[in-house]
Amino acid sequence: MARQLTPLGRALIVLCGFALLGYAGYRYEWFKKIGGLVAPDRKPEGTVSKDDFGGPVATTTEAPASSSAPSGGGTRLSRPIKVAIVTWGGYAGGIFANNGFAPTKDSVFFKDFGIQVELLVIDDFAKSRDAFRAGGDKGGVDIMWSTVDSYSLEYSGLQRLSPKAVLQYDWSRGGDAIAVDASIKSVKDLKGKSLACAEGTPSHYFALYVLTQGGLTNKDVQWKFTDSAIEAANVFKAGKVDAAVSWSPDVYVAAREREGGHILASTKEASNLIADIFVARGDFIEKHPEDLRRFVGGWLKGVDLANQNPDKAALLLSKSFSGVGLEDAKGMLADVKLPNYSENRAFFDPKGSLVNYHTIYKTAQGIWRKIGSVKDVFEPYQTVDTRFLEGVSEWFAQAQEAKPEFEFKTAPRTTTAPILTKTVSVYYPTGSSTLDENAKAVLETQVVDLAATFGSAYIRIAGNTDNVGNHDSNVRLSRARADAVAQFLVSKGFDRNKFEVVGNGPDKPVASNDSDEGRAKNRRTDFEVVPR
Amino acid sequence: MNVREPITNHRARLLALVGIGTFAGLWCLLSYADIIPNVILPTPTEVLKAFPTLHTEEALVRSVGWSLYRVSMGFLLSALVAIPLGLLMGTFPAVKAFFAPLVDPLRFLPISALVPLFLVWFGIEETMKIMLLFVGTFVYLLPLVVEAVENVDDLYLHTATTLGASKWQLVSQVLIPGSSPAIGEALRVMNGIGWTYVILAEIVNAPYGLGHLITVAGKRSHVDQIFAGVIVILLVGVVTDQIIRLINKRLFAWAE
Repeated sequence: MARQLTPLGRALIVLCGFALLGYAGYRYEWFKKIGGLVAPDRKPEGTVSKDDFGGPVATTTEAPASSSAPSGGGTRLSRPIKVAIVTWGGYAGGIFANNGFAPTKDSVFFKDFGIQVELLVIDDFAKSRDAFRAGGDKGGVDIMWSTVDSYSLEYSGLQRLSPKAVLQYDWSRGGDAIAVDASIKSVKDLKGKSLACAEGTPSHYFALYVLTQGGLTNKDVQWKFTDSAIEAANVFKAGKVDAAVSWSPDVYVAAREREGGHILASTKEASNLIADIFVARGDFIEKHPEDLRRFVGGWLKGVDLANQNPDKAALLLSKSFSGVGLEDAKGMLADVKLPNYSENRAFFDPKGSLVNYHTIYKTAQGIWRKIGSVKDVFEPYQTVDTRFLEGVSEWFAQAQEAKPEFEFKTAPRTTTAPILTKTVSVYYPTGSSTLDENAKAVLETQVVDLAATFGSAYIRIAGNTDNVGNHDSNVRLSRARADAVAQFLVSKGFDRNKFEVVGNGPDKPVASNDSDEGRAKNRRTDFEVVPR
Repeated sequence: MNVREPITNHRARLLALVGIGTFAGLWCLLSYADIIPNVILPTPTEVLKAFPTLHTEEALVRSVGWSLYRVSMGFLLSALVAIPLGLLMGTFPAVKAFFAPLVDPLRFLPISALVPLFLVWFGIEETMKIMLLFVGTFVYLLPLVVEAVENVDDLYLHTATTLGASKWQLVSQVLIPGSSPAIGEALRVMNGIGWTYVILAEIVNAPYGLGHLITVAGKRSHVDQIFAGVIVILLVGVVTDQIIRLINKRLFAWAE
């Protein structure tokens, strides 16, 4: 006679069944597969390394021949041009030309260029984009601020407005910086540490650049993304993270107020990395090109005036921005460089400066793409309209060619510790210090960009060999090779005094000389970035 | 239509559908006809197309899971603190008088202003997010619980006292059962408030989360993704709301 199952027995059998199913699910990775379908993870991030910066910019992407400068086309605007800015010293030129934020007839913009301009401080990033999407006719703005690196990230979202970059108003020169705790002395020490910054901002880009040039990748630190740069500085100050990237003045205050905190690197050294630009709406460009041309001209006139009268510029800044005293304003001005007409022309020319709009845009876009933040690819020339810059030449007739900005008079002090050391393998024929085409190509992609981006810093070029052969001749050879590298870089337009040449020979190995592999690692050229 | 004239369930549903239909129709009209530019108001098609992208590339489901976890934890925590405290305050005016000057002004607390403070106090991991959701719901829940207890009719208390109930029995047999339907309803409202704070809570260091998803979409000007994210929050909110409603109905069927 079949026995009746007790409720407990039934429950046990069901439990066993579930256990078996569960085991099978685990064993054959059903769960993973189902999980992948129902709740897929984000696309895995690519690894960003030193090779992602400074690659050659393909010159096949020739911009379409720019039509003649716009003048007289479209209609003239009957209201002030509205421009979104943030609390930042880089706007000194425009504030000078506008005599403050509000549209006024007592301004260079009105008197010399016949336009009125309204500068609107919108510190919240997302809100400034809302204002740009709305447009100047509907309570928003016609022109917004951006940086070349973050513009390449947000371009696809704004694409429908056909926005165009029209002007560079500053280089960040100390405005962005990495604050670190006492345990971190160089970029390599950041490995495994937590790093706070606002995602997808110039801070993020600056961090990626410094990390990768110092031999790390984006995966070597724990990113702690905050909503704004100020929050990143605050969590660092509170001791919740080991490092943070933020803006001036918050980042400097945070570094000072945290026990043992200090600044690891800033755009004072990486002087040609974060470029602030104005982006205009496509419909505005189409409807009011003449107003825009006058805006660009007036702004650059303001840049000349601000560069000539820094004290007056600081006074205007402190009067205009709320909560900014005169000393603060001077500090804000010291953290930026306002490029003039010729420097702007060189910046927007693909063959102009070594580091220019096109190289930064392309590099940044590639990096965001690797991280998975952008999908669509745009050519830099699609995102820019230089006709206005070209069209203002009449006002800058006696403008001189852009001059080298930084003078290197004395050799770097040997005691100054480098911010980072970029290690590059340059191959030479045995016993020779001649650079072949291959070696030149390596230097072109790996070092020219580094040296140009760290425009204000010294570069110490240190040649190293393995221990094969005579010690003294190895030292001599490594020095000759480092010298050849320096000569090559000088031929690219750098000041010879920017480089210090060192021949270490076999004295500073990074690996054991007992194996082929180790010896290969030791045959290297180190590029140390030394702050002035 | 007269004031408070009852309508049939059937009609109520019909009117609801018409309401949704009108809204959707207006959206279609304004967006497809380009009356409002699509960079401000995306078309329904664009929003629908955003879903597959969010699913395969931005870990939408995981984000829902994480946000659900944070909102539920904040919600549970505030219930755990607010219900006993509210019971005490509603039962004993002396306790209420003691806490009132601390609790009453809290309702005016600007939660968004707390974010920087909470970052510093609780760090950037989950604790900070849950604490923010806890405080955000707690300040609303506590007064509602107090009110629920106070609204229990004195008649029941008098009757129970006459029947010889002890102090403890008055609380456990009269005040708690008498106020629980209203507390259940208050909890339902709290769930809703919790979801409104999720964007704020996930503003810092939230690799997954609906709030984070929407914030990032906003920064990149992907208006379609913002709409899709908001729709998901609305859906999750409505579903959890219905679940709590159902539980309340089961537990407090007698109160109907």
